[in-house]
Amino acid sequence: MEECLNIASSIEALSALESVTEMYPFFYRPSHLTLHGPWGLSSTEKYYKQTERLWDRWRVSTVNSDYSVCPSYPHAVIVPREVDDEKLVQSARFRQGGRFPVLSYCHHRNGMVIMRSSQPLTGANRKRCKEDELLLQAVIDGSLLGYIIDLRSTQQAQQARMTGGGFESKSCYSHWKRIHRHHERGKVLQESLIKLVEACSDPSHSVDRWLSKLENSKWLSHVHSALSTAGLVVECVERDGHSVLVHGSEGTDSTLLVSSLAQLILDPASRTLTGFLGLLERDWIQAGHPFQQRCAHSAYSHARLKQECPSFLLLLDCVWQVWRQFPLALEFSEALLLRLAQEVYASNYGTFLCNNEQERCAAGVKENTHCLFQSLLSPDIEEQYLNPLYEPTDLAIWPSVHPQSLQLWTGLFLRWTEYAQNMEEAREEVWSIVKEHRERAGPDRTNNTPSTHCDTLTPFENLMDELTIL
Amino acid sequence: MEFAELIKTPRADGVVLHRPFMPTVEGTLCLTGHHLILSSRQDNTEELWLLHTNIDSIEKRFVGSLGTIIVKCKDLRVIQLDIPGMEECLNIASSIEALSTLDSVSLMYPFFYRPLFEVIEDGWQLFIPEEAFKDLESMTDEWRLSEVNKDFSVCPSYPSLLTVPKDIDDESLCKAASFRHGGRFPMLSYYHKKNGMVMMRAAQPLTGTNGRRCKEDEKLINATLCAGKRGYIIDTRTIAIAQQAKARGGGFEQEANYPQWRRIHKAIERSNVLQESLIKLVEACNDQSHSMDRWLSKLEASNWQSHVKEILTTACLAAQCIDREGASVLVHGTEGTDSTLQVTSLAQIILDPACRTIRGFEALIEREWLQAGHPFQQRCAQSAYSNGKPRSEAPVFLLFLDCVWQILRQFPCSFQFNENFLIMLFEHTYASQFGTFLGNRVAERVKLQLSQKTVSLWSWVNRPQELERFLNPLYEPNNLVIWPSVAPQSLLLWEGIFLRWNRSTKCLDEAYQEMVHIIEYNKELQNKVNSLRRQLAQLETEDSPLQTP
Repeated sequence: MEECLNIASSIEALSALESVTEMYPFFYRPSHLTLHGPWGLSSTEKYYKQTERLWDRWRVSTVNSDYSVCPSYPHAVIVPREVDDEKLVQSARFRQGGRFPVLSYCHHRNGMVIMRSSQPLTGANRKRCKEDELLLQAVIDGSLLGYIIDLRSTQQAQQARMTGGGFESKSCYSHWKRIHRHHERGKVLQESLIKLVEACSDPSHSVDRWLSKLENSKWLSHVHSALSTAGLVVECVERDGHSVLVHGSEGTDSTLLVSSLAQLILDPASRTLTGFLGLLERDWIQAGHPFQQRCAHSAYSHARLKQECPSFLLLLDCVWQVWRQFPLALEFSEALLLRLAQEVYASNYGTFLCNNEQERCAAGVKENTHCLFQSLLSPDIEEQYLNPLYEPTDLAIWPSVHPQSLQLWTGLFLRWTEYAQNMEEAREEVWSIVKEHRERAGPDRTNNTPSTHCDTLTPFENLMDELTIL
Repeated sequence: MEFAELIKTPRADGVVLHRPFMPTVEGTLCLTGHHLILSSRQDNTEELWLLHTNIDSIEKRFVGSLGTIIVKCKDLRVIQLDIPGMEECLNIASSIEALSTLDSVSLMYPFFYRPLFEVIEDGWQLFIPEEAFKDLESMTDEWRLSEVNKDFSVCPSYPSLLTVPKDIDDESLCKAASFRHGGRFPMLSYYHKKNGMVMMRAAQPLTGTNGRRCKEDEKLINATLCAGKRGYIIDTRTIAIAQQAKARGGGFEQEANYPQWRRIHKAIERSNVLQESLIKLVEACNDQSHSMDRWLSKLEASNWQSHVKEILTTACLAAQCIDREGASVLVHGTEGTDSTLQVTSLAQIILDPACRTIRGFEALIEREWLQAGHPFQQRCAQSAYSNGKPRSEAPVFLLFLDCVWQILRQFPCSFQFNENFLIMLFEHTYASQFGTFLGNRVAERVKLQLSQKTVSLWSWVNRPQELERFLNPLYEPNNLVIWPSVAPQSLLLWEGIFLRWNRSTKCLDEAYQEMVHIIEYNKELQNKVNSLRRQLAQLETEDSPLQTP
């Protein structure tokens, strides 16, 4: 008994470590990886370099290179060319947490952009900031109208003024139309996850109880609102041809959720494996989503919840819904999403450590830990995460957001149940068939035997050659 | 009775047709005795060819002089016809209503249908009881074929040839029939090769308030027990309902009279409740309000998935008794024509790999549903959209297909057929050009001479050109008993039926085609490898004297 108690208390202590540098990624040293390898896939600068459409009216600003202007932003951001660094500093003072509006995505079809930020600190006195207004004006320079998607209800946005926050008023931001779309945040989402997991854990329910509990958890409602709002952003950008600014209160959760989902729908590059991982890197990790705080505890925790919230899990669920409706459109498979869902809570790699770039630099994450995304892309590992049915398409893929079209992500929430094993086998069967098909088909995918045989070979040797090729 | 009497306006021009997921079409609408036909103006091809029997209800609307008829079909499709001219519209609407509510069976389309294809294999002759008995004979000699019901006088809803225990004579059968509801005495449903146990089905025993007993009935079911072993009686009613049945002449098997049998009650909802459930479910699926809460509430309130779970659980129980416990099982409800058949046929899907092949599944439906006397005509007279007064309609067979789909989804490599096969069967039970699902029992089908006057569904579907779209590319034959999970979390809504017209499946279909193509190509290459290997082996033996270095 004493041993058991000792082990239990050791586990409790070890699983509640606070300091980042004590975490395993700093000690994980597999023999096949080297610390001096490339870290990460993408960055603001890389994205700028790849996107020709941006070079004309936009620039990369390093005003935040020492993280003093905005502690949660990366060191480089993309802003309109005509707005100088001074104005950015002023705008940062006017936004919660210093998160002034920056570019997240430029649409290849029409050059319209998706920007993201946090709420403006108008406060009860209705303060205004000329630099912030000029910044936003520069964004839509040339077109007449932009949309602000505020992820709070109208009421919440107004109440925010009492605590120093607020929204962009029509009078100050005359060329921007504001649309409110309420999203739950923080504790409510964590509660939702806890209830959902509880409902899934008991297979002896009657169907009524199961459906009741599923409904009460409201998890699918959150999936529904995330996909709907992302669809709205896409409509504004692709159909109406206008730029969009997305923000909530802090700009670190639902903002990132909506803007990254919208990119998945709009941009074929985000649907490739490297593109998707790059998107996550730029618009979640580097954009300052506080992973450490959000993923400190999950659904089974007894600890008093502080800042935990499954925003990233919600993103993965929404991506899974899209994959389910468009099985040919994504280069990666559900297996990747499941892997990421696991890594974000507990990992051997340093990718999801800390809360923002500043903290990662201070702790020396790049130098002292291994990069998850690089390891996912190594040749023998990568293939488990690829979708065998992938066919690239240039079009935007519009997911249906009818509640009847959204399903519970059984792959994640019912992962450890018995019948999931059969599905796994079926999937492996499909995958092994496709793998063999690809290997045998070779580069030219024809049935004709190659006519490169030397005539002096015996029939025996010819056959051996053919067999090797096949 | 002339169809022409019912058709007020046989033709209308300039009609616009709206269908889910397809562009609108303008053309000429024609009403024949059996079909609603729309041919497109542009290229004279037929865009719509709808059987009147497929129409559940219609709604009329008028905007100015343009009339709109909304046709709601039994297969859950909803189409809209815009007809210029109020009078024409009214005439057409009332003609459709008259034609889609014809009662007499012999007026139905299967009697008029002349197939364009050649009937190579007559579906009416494929699954006759004599053939099934031959298979049984090869496994055991405990049974015989009885002709006691030759003229359907002993049991009107049973077929004319019955498989009964060898030692029971025809007179005992007559006595046992008088002791069971509708004359449906215990009959063999399935013989489990692995351990020789059997599953039988019947209707409720007519014990009544006096506690009647029938020695012949007891002898009949005891004959299926091995010496010293027990059997299970699965009653698909709750104990309370079974008790109440006594007051109306029915009842259940008393322990005192059937000491070797243990009775288990596993309630399955009665069929009249099922129709309500279906109506509510379809209404929930059509709800456009975009609220997740409302959708889940309505789904729960419809109770459809509870029914799916109930039936699957009971079928698993029956299968467990036979396979795991090694005991024989007798299944019955009240009339033995609805929940009983759901349980026995599903249990066979679980237990018997042969039922998971296409032929085996067709044979299962023939035996356990058609010949067993499930009243298809009554049950499928109306579907979810009907406005008529409900009589004895109930989606019993649809519920069975839903359960099969749940198992198919959980074991994607174990079935030779795919989801489309199940959807096709659903469609044909409600409206069909084939005579297979007409009538309520074998006696009726013989009287109507269906096998001579109509074409069987199996004649059409078993042709290779038709069959290929119903084959499951992932099928790998196995000999296993497959146990489906009945946890509510594992049971999904059958989107293929219920959300078929709400959401386009274009992307899913493309993915499926890609998968089929990959698997086919893989098989080709595999064959090539095998033949090359054989050649290699041959050459090795020929070459070996020459191989010395």
